[in-house]
Amino acid sequence: MRVHLGHDGNVAHHPANAGTLVSMAETMSASTETCTIPVTGMTCAACSGRVQRSLEQATGVASAHVNLMTGAATVAYDPAATSPQRLVETIRSTGYGAELSRDDASAESLLDVQDEARVVETRALRRKFSVSAVVAVLAMMVGMAHPIAGEGTRYLMLALSVPVVGWAGRHFYVRAWVAFRHHGADMNTLIAVGTGTAFVYSATITLFDDWFARRGVEPHVYFEAVAWIIALVLLGNLLEAGAKGRTSGAIRRLIGLRPATARVAQDDREAEIPLSALRPGDVVIVRPGETIAADGVIVDGSSYVDESMLTGEPIPVPKLAGDPVIGATLNRNGAFRFRVLRTGADTVLSRIIRLVQQAQGSKAPIQRLADRISAVFVPVVLSIAIITFVLWYDFGPEPAYLHALVSAVTVLIIACPCAMGLAVPTAVMVSTGRGAELGVLIKGGEPLERSQAIDTVVFDKTGTITEGHPAVRGIELTPGGREKEFDVLALAGNLERLSEHPLAEAIVAEADRRGAPREPVSGFESRTGAGVVGQVGSRTVAVGNARLLRDLGVDVGALANRADTLAAEGFTVVYVAVDARLAAIIAVADPIKPASRQAIEQLHRLGLHTVMLSGDDPRTVESVAREVGIAHVLAGVAPDRKLEEIRRLQQSGRTVAMVGDGLNDAPALAQSDVGIAMGTGTDVAMDAGAITLMRGDPLGVLTALTLARRTMRVIRQNLFWAFIYNVIGIPIAAGALYPALGLRLTPTMAAAAMAVSSVSVISNSLRLRRFNPRGQA
Amino acid sequence: MSADKVVVTALGLIGVAWVNWYFFIAGRASRRR
Repeated sequence: MRVHLGHDGNVAHHPANAGTLVSMAETMSASTETCTIPVTGMTCAACSGRVQRSLEQATGVASAHVNLMTGAATVAYDPAATSPQRLVETIRSTGYGAELSRDDASAESLLDVQDEARVVETRALRRKFSVSAVVAVLAMMVGMAHPIAGEGTRYLMLALSVPVVGWAGRHFYVRAWVAFRHHGADMNTLIAVGTGTAFVYSATITLFDDWFARRGVEPHVYFEAVAWIIALVLLGNLLEAGAKGRTSGAIRRLIGLRPATARVAQDDREAEIPLSALRPGDVVIVRPGETIAADGVIVDGSSYVDESMLTGEPIPVPKLAGDPVIGATLNRNGAFRFRVLRTGADTVLSRIIRLVQQAQGSKAPIQRLADRISAVFVPVVLSIAIITFVLWYDFGPEPAYLHALVSAVTVLIIACPCAMGLAVPTAVMVSTGRGAELGVLIKGGEPLERSQAIDTVVFDKTGTITEGHPAVRGIELTPGGREKEFDVLALAGNLERLSEHPLAEAIVAEADRRGAPREPVSGFESRTGAGVVGQVGSRTVAVGNARLLRDLGVDVGALANRADTLAAEGFTVVYVAVDARLAAIIAVADPIKPASRQAIEQLHRLGLHTVMLSGDDPRTVESVAREVGIAHVLAGVAPDRKLEEIRRLQQSGRTVAMVGDGLNDAPALAQSDVGIAMGTGTDVAMDAGAITLMRGDPLGVLTALTLARRTMRVIRQNLFWAFIYNVIGIPIAAGALYPALGLRLTPTMAAAAMAVSSVSVISNSLRLRRFNPRGQA
Repeated sequence: MSADKVVVTALGLIGVAWVNWYFFIAGRASRRR
């Protein structure tokens, strides 16, 4: 079967949907096998496209996906027809590097191999760039000294440029040749043909100068142009490699969630075994405070499990025998034993890690446009070069073949799309760097490009618009009751101290804040879904919802109206009974972040539509939405339905950004055109989101969207400047102005023009460094 | 027009035709395969 890890969205991450998580992992088992192979040396979509095509055409491959950004090929293959080693060879035959990770099942080892490969690649690129740049400068100096120093300088320049062409620029020729064999043409083709022709011509003139001199050919060489072109293109590649290197941190954090060992029950003994030795069917013992080692089902015992690292849900989830548990989540207070269902690469965590890896590799669609243009551009330029040669040969001055050759080479060099290669990566790099300084992490070019088109921003409520931690907002005493507010809070606080519920934490925090004395509690009993009862000192206290009190035979009528009003205003109401009489109700609410209102207001000013999407009770959601100024409210939406709501908005023609913080938002983040994750939320949400706001500040949404708009403007300007040089330069290089003005370019002038266009593109991108979110849109 | 110019012109035209055939027509066919 085909294992699709993309944005299909059937990934539910809420504790209520642990079953869905489990079934999601089940779909991973497949009749074909899947392996991930790190690929090195890919610089553009044409590269990854070529590797992917070659894999798809290989025998035994069901599907292949090559991720440019992470530099990994994910291949589903039939183990009977091929092997990972064969696939590696297939990739190598395309001119790119590939190496089998030491252990297919382990995402960590894959990551190590990728990191290692990336470091090696970057180091090699840096070395090649330095050498070519030094040679280019030297060749230029030698070239200028040529009239004084005499004939020998040409040999010196030839000697200098041989390593540049044969070593530093070798991969351009190899890849151009591979592309050529597949009827393809890309940037490498232009570079290879342009520099190759210039080099071969210059080398021939140098080696056979007597022969040329006798025929009246001035021995002019273009070695420095060759070195410059290769150096500049290498610089572009180096910048891109740097941008790619910063993607693995989040994945490493995810992997770090897993414990190293698991305590397994064997017969009547316990044994601590390494995680890699854990097998499905093993029974694992989990003590309080321990991390759960793998996915499974509880056999006996019970506890609350903190699944926030995977779900973003701050409330620990009650777990009883028969309930599923997920590896990497944290056991809180109880102890239990569970039977392992899945280990290693099959676990939910591993699946999430893979999802993230897939998501990271996307490339700015505008870059694909640049690649598509060069696919047409190259054959057209080659045609123009040939026609130029013919026209100069037929109609040009003597020596005709020399003028013809020089003009054709000049066309090829000026067409060399180095500035085009720099246009997108430099802008993306500078703007993601500036974004990081402003607390906005943008995962590459695609999110940037999509962000500029956003017209609707959907906010999750909890943790996004609100703080995500409930707090006591008020206490209402029963009219004519005996207890004072402080006493009620102290009693409730002491009892709730033993509870795990988040509402309990809010009450305890408030009691502590007001300095309520601590008292011993006896006969504590927690009733799941209702509340807690127990003895605090000499008093019998019950804290919970209305149902709990009714079950205990306590009349809640005295405060029923008030409770309804508070609920309508968005508060969660907690009832407190002391000695079987209703003492008070406590209003708990999740406070709204101070910047939320301002952020919404400014988004409206930019002409964006805002929506609040939450799984909470509609009354609570509506009251929060009213307070921050969001008119469009979608409440009571279960986590797995959030994705559908986003899809519905998209189907109505909107381009949607989703802002959320938990893994329960992850499917919606992935479905949205741009997922914006709150950095205060889970790492996994950050990975599912295309943009992460490090400070959890809603104003960051504004920064991200305006930065994206600015960046895209710069990229469009860059592409314009990169192309305009070619559009104007090619006809001049071909000699269009020669008949009228006698004006023509030399290959060196062409190389200089190309350098100027590269510099103008780079300096335009650098303007993004001064981006200020408060100034411009 | 001298003979060499005729030859170069003919070769050039064949070259242009070949480049366009190779990259566009044959290329598309091979990608579809």
